Amino acid sequence: MDELMYLAPEIVVVATGLAILLAGIFLSPQSKNLLGYLATLGVLAALFLTVKSFELLTMQGFMVGYSIFSDTLNIDALSQFFKLIFLVVALIVAIAAIKYNENSDHTEEFYALMLFATFGMMIVASANDLIVLFCAFELASLATYGLAAFEKQNPRSLEAGMKYFVFGSVSAALMLFGMTFVYGATGTTSIPQIAANSGLLTSSPIGLVAVVLLIAGFGFKMALVPFHMWAPDTYQGAPSVVSSLLAAGSKKMGFVAAFRIFIVALAALQPDWQFAFTILAVVTMTFGNLVAVSQTSVKRMLAYSSLAQAGYIAMAFAVMSPLALTGGIMYALAHAFMKAGAFIAAGVVVWMVTSEKRGNLKIPDHLDNFKGLGKRMPLTAFSMMIFVFALAGIPPTAGFMAKFVLFSSTIAAGMTWLAIIAILNSALSLFYYARLVRYMYVLPPEGGKVSEPFPYAIALLVAVAGVLAMGIWPEPFVELATNAAMVLF
Amino acid sequence: MTGIIDSYIPVAIFLAVGLIMPPVTMFLVKQLSPRSRAANKYTTYESGSIPTGTARIQFNVEYYLYAIAFVLFDIEVLFLYPWATVYKGHGITTIAVVEMLVFVFILLFGYLYLWKKEALTWVK
Repeated sequence: MDELMYLAPEIVVVATGLAILLAGIFLSPQSKNLLGYLATLGVLAALFLTVKSFELLTMQGFMVGYSIFSDTLNIDALSQFFKLIFLVVALIVAIAAIKYNENSDHTEEFYALMLFATFGMMIVASANDLIVLFCAFELASLATYGLAAFEKQNPRSLEAGMKYFVFGSVSAALMLFGMTFVYGATGTTSIPQIAANSGLLTSSPIGLVAVVLLIAGFGFKMALVPFHMWAPDTYQGAPSVVSSLLAAGSKKMGFVAAFRIFIVALAALQPDWQFAFTILAVVTMTFGNLVAVSQTSVKRMLAYSSLAQAGYIAMAFAVMSPLALTGGIMYALAHAFMKAGAFIAAGVVVWMVTSEKRGNLKIPDHLDNFKGLGKRMPLTAFSMMIFVFALAGIPPTAGFMAKFVLFSSTIAAGMTWLAIIAILNSALSLFYYARLVRYMYVLPPEGGKVSEPFPYAIALLVAVAGVLAMGIWPEPFVELATNAAMVLF
Repeated sequence: MTGIIDSYIPVAIFLAVGLIMPPVTMFLVKQLSPRSRAANKYTTYESGSIPTGTARIQFNVEYYLYAIAFVLFDIEVLFLYPWATVYKGHGITTIAVVEMLVFVFILLFGYLYLWKKEALTWVK
């Protein structure tokens, strides 16, 4: 029974999902808005329980970890930190989706799938066994495939779902194939056991094959170049709230899984994967930023900038010092706030354009639709400005603090050239972020003032609060991230 | 290590044969067989009835829903077997019953959902 206590946040999330699914079939379409509030409450409760769980883990000032269910799940600082990320994203998405699902007949499916996806991500963060990790990974993926294609009358959404599904399935196959090699060489699926038997992996080329396949498998989820092909289409075509869940949440799931598998289980093969990740990080951030410059669809631009951000986080693998991992983990949280918020802000504009039926309707998130947004929707424009400046890494925002820790650790580790590439990339990214700000604040508006729907406004404010809190008062976050990084050493 | 590689030799032979055989066969057929370029040659069924209409028609998805519902409960039953074999003699009777009830009830949710969404009624 003790073991269940550690899983309280997950249980709350799943129970809320099931309750919503059940309540939804009995409610009339008008009262289905209630489900959104129920989901928000459930996620808030889970968030509270996760924060409380840090107390359970602290013993005489030190963070300890627990293994539960015959060593298949780990409850430690790393898992809880990533659960925090997933729940924060789920909270922002759940609030925004109250408006998105207004008068929809499929509210219960949306929230149930979203909560099940969140549950899958949370279990991935805890997984201490390859099979558990794979099952949870697939749970989260399957739920998000459905969500990406949620607007079934919208061909773009269907295209997004289809591409995501096909690529996701292939990546799952590659990942599973990699895991079979690890299992074949070491004879176990338990991550600590693999680490103990890692000599068997280094003594044969099988270990190398496994590393390549696993990098490819996780690379798809993390959207590292050259495994990124699905990401721009999916992020652009999927409903904005779902893109927000995918870019901010699902992507971190790939990272936490990679942290556990590469750094803990395959520690013996560090030179191999470290080299691979160094190349991937450089290619990913450069490609993402260069392509983002020429995008006219804001969601697509955010998708490419999301690639670049994944490149920065992947630097943690390339540097592999405790400080770099702290930076990478912190960046994951910062990116969750900024990217979730930015996609929601784009979603507000899409909502405005489609409900007014004015502007570029074919691509509702086109840059032209952001003209004069500062006058039309001051709150959305201001939040969007905060998010893009945070993404570019301007103080006092979360993006700056995370980049500061990450880049300074890179220099401290003697990889100055990598830090220079990353900083040049940040400078380049400022170009297209500033262009968006110019469209919003300098160009004249093409319509009257529109007041944001209440749920969107709240979701944006939560994300803004997170971005600013991490930027202005970073100590607690740095401390949490440091504790999380220590788990990996 | 050589032992593992050696055991893959039959696979390699299979692969080689598999790669060589189709081109060789196709080449031989192309050399030996007579070609006909009559108009009849290009109909869908060379010696059958002439097809009418387009092949791109929509099929009813009802069967598909039934199949999914069936798989759902098929898996449930399948899962009960291993559960039954470890049920006794491990001192986990209480927790095993609770776990299985949770599992069955979650699937019951699914059933209720299917039912209420009218996935089980045959729409004409």
